Amino acid sequence: MLSKKSLLDIESLELEDIKLILSNTDSFLEISKREVKKVPTLRGRTVFNLFFEPSTRTRTSFEIAAKRLSADIINFSAAGSSLKKGESIIDTLKTILSMKVDLIIIRHSDSGTAKMVDGFVDIPVINAGDGKHQHPTQALLDLYTIKKRFGQLKGLKAAVIGDFLNSRVARSNMELFEKTGMDVTLVSPAMFLPEDFSEFKVRYSIDDVIEDCDILYMLRMQLERQDRKFYPSIMEYNRFLSLDMERLKKMKPESIVMHPGPVNRGIEISDEVMDLSGKLAEKIVIEEQVTYGVAVRMAILYLILS
Amino acid sequence: MGKAEDKNILIRKGRIIDPAKKTESSADVFIKDGIVEKIGKNIKVAGSDIEVIDAGGLVVCPGFVDMHVHLRDPGFEDKETIESGAMAAVKGGITTVACMPNTDPAIDSEHAVKYIMEKSINAACRVLPVAAMTKGLKGRNITEMGLLSQAGAVGFSDDGKCVADSMLMYEIMRYSNQFGLPLILHEEDYNISKYGLVHEGHYSSMLGLEGISGLSDDLMIARDIMLAGRSKAKVHITHLSTAAGVEMVDKAKKDGIDITCDVTPHHLFFDDSVLSSFNTNFKVKPPIRSSEDRKALAEGIKSGVIDAVASDHAPHLDTEKNTTFKLAEFGTIGLETLFSAAYTKLCREEKLSLAEFISLITCGPAKILNIDAGKMEEGREANITVIDTEAEQRIKRGDFISKSKNSAFIGQKLRGKIVCTISKGKLVYNNK
Repeated sequence: MLSKKSLLDIESLELEDIKLILSNTDSFLEISKREVKKVPTLRGRTVFNLFFEPSTRTRTSFEIAAKRLSADIINFSAAGSSLKKGESIIDTLKTILSMKVDLIIIRHSDSGTAKMVDGFVDIPVINAGDGKHQHPTQALLDLYTIKKRFGQLKGLKAAVIGDFLNSRVARSNMELFEKTGMDVTLVSPAMFLPEDFSEFKVRYSIDDVIEDCDILYMLRMQLERQDRKFYPSIMEYNRFLSLDMERLKKMKPESIVMHPGPVNRGIEISDEVMDLSGKLAEKIVIEEQVTYGVAVRMAILYLILS
Repeated sequence: MGKAEDKNILIRKGRIIDPAKKTESSADVFIKDGIVEKIGKNIKVAGSDIEVIDAGGLVVCPGFVDMHVHLRDPGFEDKETIESGAMAAVKGGITTVACMPNTDPAIDSEHAVKYIMEKSINAACRVLPVAAMTKGLKGRNITEMGLLSQAGAVGFSDDGKCVADSMLMYEIMRYSNQFGLPLILHEEDYNISKYGLVHEGHYSSMLGLEGISGLSDDLMIARDIMLAGRSKAKVHITHLSTAAGVEMVDKAKKDGIDITCDVTPHHLFFDDSVLSSFNTNFKVKPPIRSSEDRKALAEGIKSGVIDAVASDHAPHLDTEKNTTFKLAEFGTIGLETLFSAAYTKLCREEKLSLAEFISLITCGPAKILNIDAGKMEEGREANITVIDTEAEQRIKRGDFISKSKNSAFIGQKLRGKIVCTISKGKLVYNNK
């Protein structure tokens, strides 16, 4: 059991909740490795994937997680739905509740929507990303990935690089990394930093952190979420903020590179690094993040619903 | 005889506050045929047809003046009407409101001003139209300010919008000067505020809500102070929200510029820490700002820089507020909580004297609009509010009589309650 009925943001997660999610993930990870990847844990429970914003990875990850736990999962996406006919979110929720579902997973382009939905329904809600606010399950799967590699979390140096202004992943990860005792540095140009992140350590170039960090967390440049584009050019971005081979080679031996996906090739990470094979490629844990994502989400569904 | 509200009224043993003179006394008030006949000790009147209000332990003062109200009439009568807004006003102890012109059609013609004047004849309180500065509030052509002022407009405003064109603003100032009416200025730089939802600061950063920097207001305040200095116009900055704004108005006053300003109860009451609830009733414009800004506004009241408290009553339908923070409309209703919200903060917490506070919602705004209101004298039409300053209540959605229920104060514990309101000589609200 988690301390709250819903998982909306990192702030409301207790350290105990985080430990519980991480420890449960180990056993669910094992299920994903079996030939028959299914347990009857949530048989008869109905999970509603309520996605108001296009998503393939997160939606699919939740869907696989629910199915491996034998829950029934229904996918709803705004495209082709009655929202196009002018139905309000509240009315959509009323309709869903009338169908007696057990849990809602919500993704929406507006910050705060998960909290709004949670205030409206009695059943648990999982925030699968709300605007520029939070994406807690992403942060938790990232944390699990780090724990798998390093064994412990305290004192690890995490550098988070990129667009903080428009990134919900950034807000969730910064908070979760700090909460679990990691040493977090933000690397971003002024126009990609919100007005007041003054309580965090900020650097302007990836070169300031590349040699010293244990975790290099590359944020996705949220081109679709930028209201106005102030950054001068991709060439400028590459010069100060991108990961290329030269920079990868400067990293500490045990250090890792993470990205929430999908990568904008040639912006956050160069093609060469993305297509790497051999020893150095082991630094890139992007695929592990996706694999562990399913197990973490299984653990969360289990802890909330059982 | 006639209806209860047509009776002569005797208010006994009230604590009478004269906000203009900032004096207090204990006395009775006798209202005959709607006129204040006598204010004095132990008034003896005979006759059965007298409504006696025992005001022992209660405050008796002039009816309030709210100089910034959206009545949504004409055009948005599902949100509010002149009639329903006036009822909400008197429930809040307000007997005069100035209504803003962002209706549909906008109050930008002689005809529209006359519509407000005529429709408000039977309203529970006085309703004074503020006319648009530019036609259709579009920020391009100056309205017929001469015709509008002759028809009864008490001021000019494009409220909800800010004239971006500085040359046009300068000409508006020069022209309005001819008619002696104030320009009520909503200050906002759209290049800064365009995508914003809330105050830009710690909370917008952490919550991922698009910010509206205080610079949005401040740059336009600075511009308009400069333009007012040159044009000699009478300008009023409405819903001041920033510390820098208070500072600039203070300096402008000292420099001899004809400038006044008001602040809303919600900007005095809340700071941006309330945003973590994502409650859309906190989505207002200008946004609820930082705790430093809030403190500066309260200080501005105490030091006398701020001339009035006004509600910026902005009714919206549930469907416009029960949605995501981004999609929700800006605005909170405020008529019914004008006194109690500001009183709770200013008098109970910030220790402003009651008489000083009442002057900010009576003679203060009356002076800005140059209207005959906010006074209580023998021989004048009775516009009087009776207040229980010790009452305490938790505000509930069901309390509101306004057509819209979008109050930022729902759930708050407020001090002070309006007991009776006598408006246009009649007892129109009695909660005794």
